[in-house]
Amino acid sequence: MKKILSVLLAAVMVLTMLAGCSSKPEPTPDSDPSNTPANSTTPSNSSEPTPGGKQYDGVTLTMWSMWSTGEPQANVITEAAKAFEEKTGAKVNIEFKGRDVNKVLAASLEAGEKFDIFEDDYKRIGTVYQDFTYDLTDMAKAVNYDSFSYKCFTDQSIAWAGYLNAITEQPNVGGIFYDKDAFSKAGVTAEPKTWAEFLDACQKLKDAGIGPLAQDSAYADFAFYHTLVRYLGEDKIAELDQNGGWSGTAAEQAAQDIIDLRNKGFLADGAPDEYPSSQNKIGFGQAAMVICADYVTAEVNGTTGTQVNWGLFNYPAVDGGVDNGAAYMGANSLAITKYSENAQAAFDFIIFLTTGEMGQKLADEAHQIPADSRNTAPADLTGTIETLQAAQSPMTWCASLSVNADLKDSIKSLCVELFEGKYATGADFCAALDALY
Amino acid sequence: MRKNKAMIFWFCLPALLSLVIMFVYPVTRTVIMSFFQVESVTATTADWSFYGLGNYTKIFGSASFMTSMRNMLLIWIVGGVITLALAMLMAVVVTSGIRGKKFFRAAIYMPNIISAVALATMWIQYIFNYDYGLLNEIVQLFGGDKVKWLGTDLKFWAMTGSFIFGSVGYYMLIYISGIEGIPQDLYEAATIDGAGKGRQFFDITLPLLKGVIKTSITFWSINTTTFFLWTKMFSPIDTESSTIVPVIYLYDMVFGGKGITTRDAGAGAAVGVVLTLIIIAVYLVTEQLFKGSDLEY
Repeated sequence: MKKILSVLLAAVMVLTMLAGCSSKPEPTPDSDPSNTPANSTTPSNSSEPTPGGKQYDGVTLTMWSMWSTGEPQANVITEAAKAFEEKTGAKVNIEFKGRDVNKVLAASLEAGEKFDIFEDDYKRIGTVYQDFTYDLTDMAKAVNYDSFSYKCFTDQSIAWAGYLNAITEQPNVGGIFYDKDAFSKAGVTAEPKTWAEFLDACQKLKDAGIGPLAQDSAYADFAFYHTLVRYLGEDKIAELDQNGGWSGTAAEQAAQDIIDLRNKGFLADGAPDEYPSSQNKIGFGQAAMVICADYVTAEVNGTTGTQVNWGLFNYPAVDGGVDNGAAYMGANSLAITKYSENAQAAFDFIIFLTTGEMGQKLADEAHQIPADSRNTAPADLTGTIETLQAAQSPMTWCASLSVNADLKDSIKSLCVELFEGKYATGADFCAALDALY
Repeated sequence: MRKNKAMIFWFCLPALLSLVIMFVYPVTRTVIMSFFQVESVTATTADWSFYGLGNYTKIFGSASFMTSMRNMLLIWIVGGVITLALAMLMAVVVTSGIRGKKFFRAAIYMPNIISAVALATMWIQYIFNYDYGLLNEIVQLFGGDKVKWLGTDLKFWAMTGSFIFGSVGYYMLIYISGIEGIPQDLYEAATIDGAGKGRQFFDITLPLLKGVIKTSITFWSINTTTFFLWTKMFSPIDTESSTIVPVIYLYDMVFGGKGITTRDAGAGAAVGVVLTLIIIAVYLVTEQLFKGSDLEY
């Protein structure tokens, strides 16, 4: 008897363990929604409502969000999901996974993890996940997506993936963000267009006792990239990044410009500082400008508790530059998994979230450029919609300096050293770059 | 007897299955993967292509990996000597019968119960801060110029120092438990024989703590090779060469970093294998060095 009991107990233990390792059970209507697989409900690729019900009654969508619970974006997405369910009957389960969702997305998509919608940088969606994303071309055409989206992102997504696989959620523009009040105080009346005008503005700001340019070491490569792109263009940078040979190129002049900027005392006190110390100096009235993307305005306002009177101008043109108009533009976007069984419902939710009332709320609450160009940008970001609409070919976030992934960290550190004043000349800096190869 | 053997088998089965599924399989797969060109960590074996020692050649020819290894070695040696020495010193002081023993023990252990994220933030934003950090306040108090503690020259040491601060208490507790296990008779006899505190430490405490020291060195080696969070905190936006360690290199290699869209799970597996071999080597060396240290008293 004891033997039988022992064997039974052992068998129960083994079965319990195996059950724990097994795949998820088929959901029941009252099962925990967070555990419900994306395709757990009757697939509904039709936009026709069921008789007497709402359009997507019985449909359950699962979304992996890059935001964390409590963030403004997360709050709006949650609100949008509730409103979407009321309107269409589709339940949207949102899993807020935070920024590091991009570390697990590729593996999860390859493993066929059950989710319908995910968020990430549009470049990764276009270049890393493109084999696992739904072709949104026809659905986008049906809602006339081109009429209210930004062509630069749509074209770029198609160029990367070969088809439209991402819907813009949070567009970004980069450049030099500045405190208009600081400019007025220093007597800088016009936004600098050329490097000479920029240096002149820096001198006036310095004379007025304001640190001209805030610079955190975390963004040193991004700041230098602007100068580099103007002198060389992104294609040439990519070539040099891969093979070396920086010495003797216009990169020396690009580095020299930064060295001169530093030697003239045009960096804010302590720059390059540890993120976000230097950019915060704009909020404290100790610095006037920072080279970053538009989210810096919300970061500085939020951290310092001030409302800076922000302005934005493109990085100034340099003499003999080959790409003087380059400006950073990027986006966090939404995509649908290729294997989603409710792709149309997922697409409708994405459009519901990023356009109209919810799109405006997202822009206002998260202090971002609206994804729907018919909406209005927050006051600090006035003009950004027009900038994005006019953009043709967006400059990437240091993509050409990341071609040689193995040297990326080392090159970034050299960029920080450049701002720290470690190099006497641009030629010295380029020699240090070449020494890495 | 035969009945008992059957029981042993059935009761061991769950644990054995768990071990095979959760440990043996991933380790074996990682070792094999390190000899193949594999882009994604979840790629099926059909997508693997044999690469021989190519992944190992790649990582040992990589400037970033070698920098990360140098950083790890410095943390292991310099950080290890300072941490374990400080922990031993504090353990001896705390167990020496001073007043307020419980307070000191709790105070020194305190950093271990605070989240490492909060601890790193405190160091970065309030102690190393260039404008109003504690260290620069002290420097200025003595008439010195402000120092860029988080500049490229000092960032690594700033990070290591913060890590040491957060680690000392843990090893102190290990040493305290070891010291408290040593019979008081030995110290009393030594005192009667005229041995001072120093002599007692070197001739009684230290020899009898050999086994504990061996364990703490192994723990420290594991902590150093899995060093991750502090690098992430000291390089918040993107990996920097002043703070990179092998696990971060592996992480970026397998999952891609900011702006990097290429992935190489095969090279990442090779890094994992190298780190494992390092830990095994350290363990074997310490076993050899502290041979016969498991004393009974």
